[in-house]
Amino acid sequence: MRKLQIKDKQQLISTIDKNRIFILFGVIFLFMALFAPRFMNVFNLTTIMRTMSLNATVAIGFTLILVIGQLDLSIGTIITFAAVVGLGLKESVGFGLSVPLAVAAGGVVGLINGILVAKAKINSFIVTLGMMTVLQGTIYTITGGNSISLSTPDAFAISDWLAEMFFPLLTPRVLITIILVILASFGMRRTRIGRNFYMVGGNSQTAWLAGIDTDRYTIAAFVISGLTAAVGGILFAMESAAATLNMGNSSLMYVISATIIGGTSMAGGKGGVFKTFVAVLTLEVLYNGIILFGLGNEVKIFLAGVILAAVILYEAYTSYRREKVLGQRPELMKELERDREAAAASSS
Amino acid sequence: MTEQKTQHEHIVQPEMQLDARAVKLNIFSKFLHTLGIYGIAGLFVIFGIVLQVFGVINGFLSVQNMLNIVDAVALLGIVAVGMAFVTYSGHYADLSAPTTMALTGIVCVQMLRYGFLPAILISLAVGISVGLLNAVAIGKFKANPIIWTLAVSYVTLGVIRLVWVNKQIYPDVMASSQRASDLFDAIYRLRFFGKIALPVIILIILIIIYTLLMTRTQFGAQLKITGAARKAAKFSGINVERIIGAAFLVSAVSAAIGGLVVTSLSRVGAWYNGAGYDFRAVTAIVIGGMTLAGGRGSIIGVVGGVLIIGLMNNIMTLLGIGTFSQDMIRGAIFIIVVGVSAKSLRSLGRDDA
Amino acid sequence: MKKLVKLLFVGLMLLTAAGLVFAGGEAEEAASGAVEGNLEASLAIDVSVLTAADGQPLIKLGGQTRPVPERPADPSALPETDPLHWWDMEFAGWNSVKTNIPESPKDGAIGKRIVMIVHGDHPWTTACSNGAQKVADAYDIDLKIMSPNWDLAVQNQMIDQAINERPDMILLIPLDAKTAPQQARKINRAGVPLILFNTLPSAEAMDYAIAWTGPDDFGQFRILSRLWADALGKEGGVAYVQHAPGGSPYFARCFGPISELSEYAPEITVLDKQAPGFEADKTMQLVSDWLTRFGDELKGICAADDSAQALGIFEALSKAGREDVIVVAAGNSKVGMDLVKDGKLYAITYQTAEGDGALAVKTAADWFNGLEIEPVRYLPQHMITVEDVEDFYPPQW
Repeated sequence: MRKLQIKDKQQLISTIDKNRIFILFGVIFLFMALFAPRFMNVFNLTTIMRTMSLNATVAIGFTLILVIGQLDLSIGTIITFAAVVGLGLKESVGFGLSVPLAVAAGGVVGLINGILVAKAKINSFIVTLGMMTVLQGTIYTITGGNSISLSTPDAFAISDWLAEMFFPLLTPRVLITIILVILASFGMRRTRIGRNFYMVGGNSQTAWLAGIDTDRYTIAAFVISGLTAAVGGILFAMESAAATLNMGNSSLMYVISATIIGGTSMAGGKGGVFKTFVAVLTLEVLYNGIILFGLGNEVKIFLAGVILAAVILYEAYTSYRREKVLGQRPELMKELERDREAAAASSS
Repeated sequence: MTEQKTQHEHIVQPEMQLDARAVKLNIFSKFLHTLGIYGIAGLFVIFGIVLQVFGVINGFLSVQNMLNIVDAVALLGIVAVGMAFVTYSGHYADLSAPTTMALTGIVCVQMLRYGFLPAILISLAVGISVGLLNAVAIGKFKANPIIWTLAVSYVTLGVIRLVWVNKQIYPDVMASSQRASDLFDAIYRLRFFGKIALPVIILIILIIIYTLLMTRTQFGAQLKITGAARKAAKFSGINVERIIGAAFLVSAVSAAIGGLVVTSLSRVGAWYNGAGYDFRAVTAIVIGGMTLAGGRGSIIGVVGGVLIIGLMNNIMTLLGIGTFSQDMIRGAIFIIVVGVSAKSLRSLGRDDA
Repeated sequence: MKKLVKLLFVGLMLLTAAGLVFAGGEAEEAASGAVEGNLEASLAIDVSVLTAADGQPLIKLGGQTRPVPERPADPSALPETDPLHWWDMEFAGWNSVKTNIPESPKDGAIGKRIVMIVHGDHPWTTACSNGAQKVADAYDIDLKIMSPNWDLAVQNQMIDQAINERPDMILLIPLDAKTAPQQARKINRAGVPLILFNTLPSAEAMDYAIAWTGPDDFGQFRILSRLWADALGKEGGVAYVQHAPGGSPYFARCFGPISELSEYAPEITVLDKQAPGFEADKTMQLVSDWLTRFGDELKGICAADDSAQALGIFEALSKAGREDVIVVAAGNSKVGMDLVKDGKLYAITYQTAEGDGALAVKTAADWFNGLEIEPVRYLPQHMITVEDVEDFYPPQW
């Protein structure tokens, strides 16, 4: 009986632990809904959805990268690169061809990253850090230091269409993001290939022994990361009807934070696309509320840091505790204690 | 970020295998392996000399130019040699270095009203306390170094901006006396023998201390084992928590000193001081032959990495290569150098990273 | 236990739905109708007496406009050294075709609500906001300032939020010239009056805004370059330390002088131009390398920033013992003015940060008051040299 209770308690803790991002989202959302001025209305909530669209799309691939236990620091510049390619080529080939090309460009960058990591066996931190610098230079070179804008009626029409709310909270761009998140989430959880990614990240040696071609999965993850970053970037650029030379820069740190807050671990093998998505939403709700309260970026940076630090510390502390009590069996200890208590009671 | 461990089981006895495998190395890898990073630095110098001989560039081979290179990277060197301890301990990088620099600088400027020396001491203490945060969270609770230091950098940045309400402060306005302000200004500008700047002297002192610390002390030996194999270190009775914590403290000390230097250079205390020094320092460290897997490399190597960055920039500017192309070349050289050195280490059975 | 979490989640969803249903009436009412005599009272307010932190008048209107030359048929076909090559950037807004611009209410500026969206946090922005606030206070305007911290996605969000608040006017510093058209268009289509300021947007953006106010970067640098060329004796080699790529300053503060000097002092040769960013040590290495490469050929340096970049330049010059190199820069930060006072910087441009924000609010007030607004309003043009640098102390930031 007592044993069961302990299990119950453990179960509760683990349920809360597993769903903590949903709880965090709930708490922050509730707080903003109650206190932030002009927060709860269709227009503002749609604004939140539209703002999260970029980082939520990019975070899909990044979550995958963390799941296989790697790191991709080049996503920020891939966003910009895709935006510049897609809009820069529009004049000559039209959106019909330039958008696929932009997405493909992101995929190619991811492929190069992946091959360098998997085949040349260079640490992903180094590869993607170098790629970040190379891409930044490439972006500056191909644009000549000048941002690109499309002020033609058809570009405006596409931009307006992407940003138009056709259903509460949904614009076409948001819908694309959500569909991608659902697809990726489903693919990661329900398909064999998706689950193999977790195996590669959890323990690449075991995965290798189990007959999984770890190199191929590593490359695939980088390609997907490049593709999602490019999709996010080109959609963002199309909605802005412009591509600036650093439009993706702030996404890198944002996406890393969101993915971690969402419960994906840097050690690999753990996490999920949907949780990352909720984490992006959480941050976006928080930031939106901070603006509505009329507070500055310093508050935003500070709070983001505190939340991130709290999540990391919590995770680190639980694994620290787990390591401490590894091999101990609390229910036996409890039983022992009860016996001792009983003995003490009977003797007195 | 688990390392690729697939190669691991092939390593039976490194000593025996060494010769057989060394044969497989190509010339460049062998070259890199024997001479280390200074081989590459030498290549760059030779490249520069060749260019000068053929009249493509001029003035490369002069004392003043070499001093310029050292001057330009001294600040980066100060930050990098400290952060190298973090990399050496197997914890990648300290992304909180830039905000530690900014915090130290702005606190120092603020405290100049109490005189020069108190300001320096207080600000260094404040900067190092950021390292203490890292030491506890990463050393004791094993938080992931990259994201934890990222979180710390957010918090620090938020604090700086909240406290100083998005303003920058000036040493000559804040200082109690002209003397304090002049002394602060001199941190960057003082020159010995009219040539060698104080930051270079600081860097040299740090190199000596850190090299001794890493190679001659018990701490250094324990750090090497901890970096190479944390579990093995733990089981052999090393207090890995304290060792790792100490590595982050060393990094914070360096960043704090770097913060004073950069603030003295830019003559403003502001939250954006030091931005970018995290990735730049990692670049130097890794080019300098310190592997991210930990436990391998040396401070001297890191200094070589720092010098290479300076040499590279120098030659490219002398050649008249534009800013944009410089970025591309820098990134590519970074990947190639590190890739080749990783490959040579692997072929020798020295590393599984 | 899972039930509990699910219950919580469902509850939240319901709350959201309820919120959405009742949200209709939340959009704020436009500011109340005109009060009797508001226009007269507004017109009577004299903001020209206000002063900035540096003791200069906050707002100086009129004068300082310069003749706008005829636009060539295809400016981009001209070489970069031709001043007219930059026509579209330099004179953006002068040939705009105003589209769907709201009619001025002509009921006075007092009591109006304005949302001001800047580009990001910087001490400059803080000073700019202060200036805007001073004018807003004088007119009793309710001014709300938002800063997206240099993030385009956030700035777009802020524009949405600002529109949602239905203010009487939005003042916007576009993050990038090229993103401005769609941003301005969005505000325009929502029917909110818009004034762009500070960063020069693409010409298309001007069609959707009442006006653009801000510094005449090209004009300032044309004047500065003439001053510089005179000091150089109209000959010798010069180099340019550029602004970060992407914005109009990147071009204005380099090609402005280059194209101006190609006519005014053709003997001056451009040795190199590089964008090392706004870090003193990087600039120092760049300039040291230049001194090695060009030696005595290098007679002048023009910098896009008078603080970190200028400090880096002078560190390199003092190391090389070169006091003869004539340096000019865009300013006027405290660090830059100190350098001018020390006789190191030859000249800097007067870039009033407070005035920048103030002029935008003043223009908005003029529009509320029903006054005629020219499509482009420049800040005063002035070069600060050692002679008059004292007049600009204490610095604004």
